[in-house]
Formats: sequence, structure tokens, C-alpha cells
Amino acid sequence: MSRCRGCEARVEGSWARCPLCGTELEPLTDGTGPGSPRPSEPFAAVALRYSGRRVLRVLLLVSLGMVIASFALQLLLPHTESGWGWLRASWLGLATTWLLVLIALRERRNLARATAYLVVLVGLVSAYWDYLTGWHAWSLTYTVPIVCGSSIIAVLVLVRVRRMEPGDHVLYAALTIAVGLVPLLFLVLGWVTTPLPSLLCAALALAQITVSRGREVLRELSRRLHL
Amino acid sequence: MSTRAWARLDNASNIFLAARSARDPKVFRLGAELDHEVDPALLQRALELTVDRYPLFRAVLRRGLFWYYLQGSDKHPQVVADVLPPCAPLYEPGHPGLLFRVVHHGDRVGLEVFHALVDGTGALWFLGDLLAAYLRLRGEGAGTDAERETGEAIEADASEHRGITGDAFRHHFRRRRIRDRAPDPARFARDAAPAALRSAEELASLVSTGATRRGGRAGRDAGGAGGHHRPRVHRVHGELTPDLRPRTVELSMPADQVLVLSRAAGVSLSSYLTALLLEGVRRSSGGLGAARTLAVSVPVNLRQFFPSRSPRNFFATVRLEHTYAPHEADPEVEVDLDELARSLEEGFRPQVSAEALAARLRRLIGLEQMLGPRLVPRPLKDLLLRVVNARVNRTLTLAVSNLGRVRLPEPAEAHVRRMMFEVSAVRPQFCAISHAGVLTVSFTAPFVRTDHVREVVRLLVARGVEVSVAATRVTEHELAEVGV
Repeated sequence: MSRCRGCEARVEGSWARCPLCGTELEPLTDGTGPGSPRPSEPFAAVALRYSGRRVLRVLLLVSLGMVIASFALQLLLPHTESGWGWLRASWLGLATTWLLVLIALRERRNLARATAYLVVLVGLVSAYWDYLTGWHAWSLTYTVPIVCGSSIIAVLVLVRVRRMEPGDHVLYAALTIAVGLVPLLFLVLGWVTTPLPSLLCAALALAQITVSRGREVLRELSRRLHL
Repeated sequence: MSTRAWARLDNASNIFLAARSARDPKVFRLGAELDHEVDPALLQRALELTVDRYPLFRAVLRRGLFWYYLQGSDKHPQVVADVLPPCAPLYEPGHPGLLFRVVHHGDRVGLEVFHALVDGTGALWFLGDLLAAYLRLRGEGAGTDAERETGEAIEADASEHRGITGDAFRHHFRRRRIRDRAPDPARFARDAAPAALRSAEELASLVSTGATRRGGRAGRDAGGAGGHHRPRVHRVHGELTPDLRPRTVELSMPADQVLVLSRAAGVSLSSYLTALLLEGVRRSSGGLGAARTLAVSVPVNLRQFFPSRSPRNFFATVRLEHTYAPHEADPEVEVDLDELARSLEEGFRPQVSAEALAARLRRLIGLEQMLGPRLVPRPLKDLLLRVVNARVNRTLTLAVSNLGRVRLPEPAEAHVRRMMFEVSAVRPQFCAISHAGVLTVSFTAPFVRTDHVREVVRLLVARGVEVSVAATRVTEHELAEVGV
């Protein structure tokens, strides 16, 4: 038996720190404190059958390693259309899908952030994929603008449907808008083969800027970047 | 082969099978702390004697095409040391075993029961008789022969009700009472509807089209609820314990000190404790945000309205809600605890009158007697109940359960220092029980952190209550401290 000064309560058993607040306990002089030879434990200490956290961490690391290895190995194989086959396509497809699943699971509590992450990831992977298949610029022409445009709509829908608090989403909404303007850059630099998708995406982003609440974004930014 | 007694699973129990999960195996534990180290051999003999008087506790659970059913068995329950986490699973589909276990640890005896078998009151009867038998075997209370005989006479009288065929639900709420109430195993135990009455109502609206959802939600802060908008219910999240065992924190305190507080507020002890828990959650939430409504599910023992001596599940759950004012979403803001308790009590009272409960239950039983739902195969029923249960879970923040003041049969009463009561839970929950002037409130949740309990303790201490804390060890670090 000991006493927690933080909670001002007695604590039964041989805890060194308060199980509620973590404050170091002071022993009570009734012979059953932490110093006594055989403290009476109110509950049996039962060994863990497994540790879900450990299992998940190991699985996560192993699968991340496999995904990274999959992407890296592709570099060693030929980067031409002829050297590409259904086997490599499904291999990379599986690795990408798994990566998306991991992000979706990790960020399931904040869907706006998950959306922003997914946009960046899909953009990078498709550009890499395009490079591996001999660079036809389909990623920058189609994939990136379409994904960016969709994400702007997705965040709008999410905020409505989930009735999110401004603090939880404004930054990500702003981020998707910023990313939505990136295809415009591709267009200016002449990296795309057809201008229409990039133009549509940029138009969507600009339209979104006009309806979004800039002041809230700034307020949230100043809060997050506060020194 | 002998013809074994069997009974379709009673009214309230099926939800426990459907809602079972790794996090919440629907097991509860009743415990008693004795004034000496428990003698396992004597406890074993006492258990054998007690089980003979409660044939229901010999039952195993089997699966039929349309229903689960309880079947008598010859299994011999064994007293075991406390080697599993509290409220470890008891029912495994396909491996019919007994639905309860008796454990001992130091001076504590624990009775763990799968909730589909009996409810807290039923288990309490069993534990009381078990402890009395144990202490008699130990030579306690042997002097008062007269007392013992009357005690046994009562038990003998009661034992016919404690068999496998005592379905209190059906007894009280059949539309047309059957005149002869001779036990009729084949027609026994009408359809399973969820014990959580709200769940059953949800099911009713799923099954019968056109049934309108009933209102009747109490305790709502009319100002905060805002028009027809369904209020957003706050839900507690957190890091789960490593092997999904419940984190139990047991608070023991002098019952008088808390009773004085609840009387000063003009509410029942249950309402006061519920208000404390609500405040504990709010103060540890780090801001409620827009989800300012906290909803609590409370089981009500129906035996107090409709006398029954069956230990089978016989309770209804009511739901309480409290919506905090927008400025109270900030955990730093002080809220009047007494006011909160009174508002909870106001929401609670009308829901637990005998008439209100009887009306709800009759409607339920009527639904269960309809042929359509009864013809649904069991796996599909399970699935439906699981969906309903998940929907109900999303609208609940907390659960509370109070077994009240307990008097054990002699000689157990004199040798039990305090009693404990805890339930496996998917959401933060407390279970209260008081015995011999000691109130024990056990908080359970599948989460590692116990911030809401810390806040409850501090609220109690600030009001002059002497609190003693006992907690289970759940993380690797905590277990390493004691060398496990």
C-alpha cells in the first residue's frame, strides 16, 4: 500500500508509480508498501499472451521493406516498353496498393490528411512508373491532374459528410489546392502531351480558392507554425 | 442416451453472443475479498455443493439452426488460480464448456460468468451461496444451526426456480398468460431479443417496415440539441492494451461519504457516480469539440419491478444523454456536478417506472412471438444483431452498472471485507457494488490510459472522499515491474 501525492489517494499493490497519473508513490507505513518483503497484490499479474502493438509493428516494417525493395528492384530491370510485362506490372501494382492501404489505415482518423498523403504518393508512384516504362508523360498529363482534381472534390465531400472541424481540415484542403495548381506548372514547362486535364484541374483549384475561407487557413497556419 | 434438460437461450441473452469480440468477450466478474487467504481445496468442495443447487450453472451453450440453446451437462467446475486476465473469454463456438469459472488470488475469490448465462444479480446469488458454503465448510457460523437451516430451506425452495427452465421474461410478459406454468422445455424461452433493449428496438425497426423510430431519449439538453439534428455523440478512443485485456481500475471508498454527497445533490448514488464519470471523460478529453453529447447505457434490474427468482438475464437497458453547453466543451471549464447529476436523474426516472418498462417489454415479446423473425436462421440473426449492436455502439459513450448494496447470506456476510464487480467493455464503463459500508467502483476499458479515472478520483478526493486505487497491469513495462 502506498500513496499518490498527485491524486491524494491510496494505491494498493506494489506500484512504484501511480497507475493513474504516473507520479512517484510514497510508501505508507502499514507493512505492505513497496519496501516490504511480500507486497499484497490485489490482482494477479498475468503475463501477456501476445502484444498486438509488437505484431503490428513487425508486420508494418516487413511490408514496408518489401514495398521499398520492390520499387528499388525495378530500377535494375530494363526501362523500356518491351522490357515491361504483366508480371512486373502486377508486382508493382500490388506493392503500390499495399502502400495505399497502409496509409489509409494509419490515417483513418483524419481522412483529410489521408487524402493529401494519397495524392502525393499516387503522383510520385505514377511518375516513377512512367519513367520505368520509357517515359511517355502519361503520368503528368493524365494521372496527376486527375488525382489532384479528384482530391479537391474528395476533401470538400469529406468535410461535409463527416462534419469536420475547421482545425482538422483547412490545412489539408489548402494543400490539395496548392497541389492542384502544380499541373499548371507542368503545362507551362511543356511536360504534358494534352493540355486539357491540367487546365481542368487548375480551374478546379482556382475555383476552390475563391470559395475557401482564406482567413481560417491563415489562422490555422499561424497556430501550427507558432514558435 | 439420457435426455438432457435444454432451453432456448432466453430473451436478453442472444445479444451477448452476437456482440462478443476479442476486446469484449461479454464476461463479467464478481469478486469478494475475505478476511483470510482462500483455501482452494475447500473452495472446490463448496463449489461442487453450490453447483448441485444451481443446475443452470452446469449448462453448456450449443448452436441450433435457429437459436442457441443451453443444455445441461455433467461437467465438473474446477476452482483455478487467477492465471488469466480478468474477464477472459468463456465461450468458444464449437467447444462447449462451462460458462463460468471460479478463481482465487490471495484473499480474493472471483466468479466470472459469460453474460448469456445469467446477469449480475443471478451471479451474485450464486457467489453468495458459494461463499456461505465455503465458510461453513471452514467451520464458520457452525454454532447457529437454526440460521443455517432456515438458510437451506430458502435455498431448497429457490432451487426449483434456479434450474435451466426459469425464464422470467416469458413469465411476466407473454401476451396471454399460460394458465399452467409447469416447466415445458420445448416451448420455453421465447425468441432471443437483445438484452440491450434499445438494440431490440432497433431490430424491430429493421424487421418490420414502417415502424417508426421511437423518441423517448432522456436527459437531452434541449438548448444544445438544436432542432432535428441528431446530436454528435462523443466517443472515447485510445491506445488498446497489448493483448486486448481490459484495464481495470478499482476504487474503494467508504459508502457513507459518497452517499452524503449524492444526498446533498438530491440524487441517487448511481446518478451521482454517472455524473462523476461523465465529468471524468469530459475533463480528460482534451476538448469535446462538436461532439458535446455524452450518452450512457444503464442496465436496470427488472426483478425490482417484476419479482422473479430466476438467475437468468432479466434486465433492460435505458439510455441517458447529456449535452454539454458549447463553452463546456473546454475541459478547463468547471461544471456543476450536482446539477449534472440532477439532470441525469430527471432523464432516468421516467424510463424506469414499472409501467414504462412493462410497455416496452410487452411490445418486444410480441415481436419475438411473430413467426417471421423466428424463422430466420441463427447465423443470419447473429449478423443482424451484430449490425444493430455496432450501430448502437456508435451512439454510446459510456456504460454504467450498479448492483447496489449487497447483503450476503451468513456466514459469508461476516467474513467478506469488500466486494468487487467488473465487466469486459468496448467502451469505458464502471460497475459499482457496495458491501459492509465499502463502495467499490471498478472502471474497465480496453485502453491503456486511464485519464478519465484519474479525473474521477480527483473529483472525489476534492469532495473529501478517501479513495483507494487498485489497478491491473496491462503493458509490458508494468508487468516487468513485478517480474512477469
